Amino acid sequence: MKKKKMIISQETMDIDFVRKVEALADTSVRRCFQCGKCSAGCPMATFMEHPPNRVVRLLQLGQWRRVLEGRSIWYCASCETCSTRCPNKVHLASIMDALRKLSWDAHGPSKEGYVQLANKLFLQNIRTYGRQYEMRLAAVFNVKSGQFLKDLMLGPKLIAKGKLKMFHSKNKNLPEIEKIFTRIAEIRAKGEAL
Amino acid sequence: MSRIGVFICHCGENISRTVDVERVAAEIGRHPGVAFSTDYKYMCSDPGQTLLKKAIQEQRLTHVVVAACSPRMHEKTFRKAVEVAGLNPFLCEMANIREHCSWVHEDREEATVKAIDIVGMMVERVKKNRVLAAITVPVTKRSLVIGGGIAGIQAALDIADCGHEVILVEREPSIGGHMAQLSETFPTLDCSQCIMTPKMVDVANHPKIKLYTYSEIELVEGYIGNFQVTIKKKARSVDEDKCTGCGVCMTKCPQKKIPNRFDQNIGMRSAIYVPFPQAVPNTPVIDRDNCTWFKSGKCGVCQKVCGPGAVDFEQQDRLVVEAVGAIVVATGFDLYSINEKPKGSAIKGYGEFGHGKIPDVIDGMTFERLASASGPTGGKILRPSDGKEPKQIVFIQCVGSRAREKGISYCSKVCCMYTAKHTMLYHHKVHDGQAYVFFMDARTPGKSYDEFWRRSIEEEEAVYIRGMVSRLYQKGDKIVVMGSDIAVGVQVEIEADMVVLATAIQPQKGADTLAQKLGISYDKYNFYSEAHAKLRPVECATAGIYLAGACQGPKDIPETVSQASAAAAKVMTLFSKDKLEREPVVARVREAGCVGCFACKKVCAYGAVEEKEIRDRQGNLVKIVAYVNPGVCAGCGTCQATCPSKCVELDGYTDEQIVAMIEAL
Repeated sequence: MKKKKMIISQETMDIDFVRKVEALADTSVRRCFQCGKCSAGCPMATFMEHPPNRVVRLLQLGQWRRVLEGRSIWYCASCETCSTRCPNKVHLASIMDALRKLSWDAHGPSKEGYVQLANKLFLQNIRTYGRQYEMRLAAVFNVKSGQFLKDLMLGPKLIAKGKLKMFHSKNKNLPEIEKIFTRIAEIRAKGEAL
Repeated sequence: MSRIGVFICHCGENISRTVDVERVAAEIGRHPGVAFSTDYKYMCSDPGQTLLKKAIQEQRLTHVVVAACSPRMHEKTFRKAVEVAGLNPFLCEMANIREHCSWVHEDREEATVKAIDIVGMMVERVKKNRVLAAITVPVTKRSLVIGGGIAGIQAALDIADCGHEVILVEREPSIGGHMAQLSETFPTLDCSQCIMTPKMVDVANHPKIKLYTYSEIELVEGYIGNFQVTIKKKARSVDEDKCTGCGVCMTKCPQKKIPNRFDQNIGMRSAIYVPFPQAVPNTPVIDRDNCTWFKSGKCGVCQKVCGPGAVDFEQQDRLVVEAVGAIVVATGFDLYSINEKPKGSAIKGYGEFGHGKIPDVIDGMTFERLASASGPTGGKILRPSDGKEPKQIVFIQCVGSRAREKGISYCSKVCCMYTAKHTMLYHHKVHDGQAYVFFMDARTPGKSYDEFWRRSIEEEEAVYIRGMVSRLYQKGDKIVVMGSDIAVGVQVEIEADMVVLATAIQPQKGADTLAQKLGISYDKYNFYSEAHAKLRPVECATAGIYLAGACQGPKDIPETVSQASAAAAKVMTLFSKDKLEREPVVARVREAGCVGCFACKKVCAYGAVEEKEIRDRQGNLVKIVAYVNPGVCAGCGTCQATCPSKCVELDGYTDEQIVAMIEAL
């Protein structure tokens, strides 16, 4: 975690991004008064460099880059303990969700490349086959992430149980699915994805 | 032969924890003269008092000793109970075995022996108590209110509305105090002037209120119901009766560049001035230190232009004596100085904040004047240095307050709320600006207070940063604020255009001197002390003197007004009777032995000793002796200790009684 000094001004506080997060999560970070209840009950907080309360605090100051630079949002298990217990109705689980979504397009850092990679491959598969083709997803993920033998021994078991198909089956309505992807791309290009 | 009843109280466990009360009761039962002794869990409770009353009647008791807490706590309670049972109340005494014994000792055996001794002494003393009757003194139904801020104004109006005359004394040329300086008030943001000035006018027009502005208390004599107060009316140099308040003198005065203290010295005034246009009374005063006439004997323009001829350079300070029955002290507060620390002050300054050397580092009251529609900038938030509108403004809370090392350990109570208000006022006036607040805790107890603070953040977009500021320094025309955000755990730096410090609230300068004149107690910060923090919060320990507002401790406006009304209610309670009953514990002179040396008169701090002529039947003067006026005597006993012929004695504390107590040991 970076202990870099914060220079605060209207320019360095990127409130526009925070507004997007708030709109997507349908909540307000300004409501938080840093009681720490979210961090107190978070089962994943020990793994995070920014515990949940600090994530909200950084958003209040428009310092979202510091949040995305870290792994906190990826460790969040979406158990919603924070949201359930928050005295100010700050829906933190939704904020984490929103941050994960926005990290895709955010021109900034997201260290957790594997998560982004998995997400990307997942969508590529959908686009190509109209449904998920797990074998390809696993293989390409292992190759692209450089972990060739990762979970290799699970393969035969899953195949035996019929959980992993050797060959793909394509969706019949591929053109329709392609339309969905095109439309989403258009919306995102216009910046209306939220 | 006396039949004394002794009642030992457990005080729950306060006494019985350390003192074997049953043993005390048993042993004291064998003391000569004691007819009855018992112990009970709570003597002051209703069953306890019933026990006492029943014993007096059944045992035909002649005297009573209650061994319990301090007489300051319950002497009145038990004397009343004794009176109900048919005994003279002054034949009841209390032995203090709580504060003087159980609370201060740990060893049970030793504490028990001491308790027996204390009770034994009191038994010997009560044997020699005389039957006394309460003294009645007349009550002057006029009240003095010191301080013309919102506290004093409220108290004065409440008392005067009840039909009693009020003398309101204010040190400044106008009443209004600090509240008149404020722009808008939390938590409703109503304009201070709008709610304050009508009350000021009410004071000026009230037939029962006599207003002394530009005046100070010189001397206070007397006692509850009968005070004589000497008031110094400082020379205004303007005849209040002749002046019409037209203001021509002020427009013509050539001296116009004098910093106006009412505007925290950022606005200017003339040498003949009223502090602000809505002043009450609207009579100017000449600031003799800055007036050309008083400095060089030339000018006199104001006198020449004054139509009614009200300007009077010859006016002198005048002393006025007023007789009052009660005094309300409402002298208010002052702000901790952000400049160099005052000489001789125990309070350390804030070197790290530039010691007032950075012109755009101001205090909260200065911000109030900037934000006030009637202020020097007409309500525009502008920097004192160059008149530019600050786009980045930083507020720092707890400057002085809660800083033991700087000399003040208390919380000033109002700063959290007024800083939240400042961020809102700023946001309303500078739409493209950003306010930041450095704070330790946000303390917002009060009706609609927390909601107000949250609103400043959630709706008015103030950025609150929990953590303090280490240093301020000038960089170009910016002020660099170095602080930390402890929620994130990193250092923070902001380049601000203006910095506002929420400086601590302190008592008015000279609060201690006034307290000494009044004979009331004050704490180490010079805040006046109430008689009891919880149960007598508006009374002083000195009878007949009441407190209102921030002179007692930091307070906001609603609290101040409540306390002022409470003090007024106390004054009215006092005035509801024509005569006041006083404890008859006063000194008496044995005239047969008095030689008339009047040593007692010299030492009496209350002026209670008078001269009395003794004449025979033919009317020939035999001798002049001392006489103690029971209405004035405070029962301190100084005369008794001084009298060379041992002819003055204080009832209940005669030499005979003291010796008897010593012999009982």
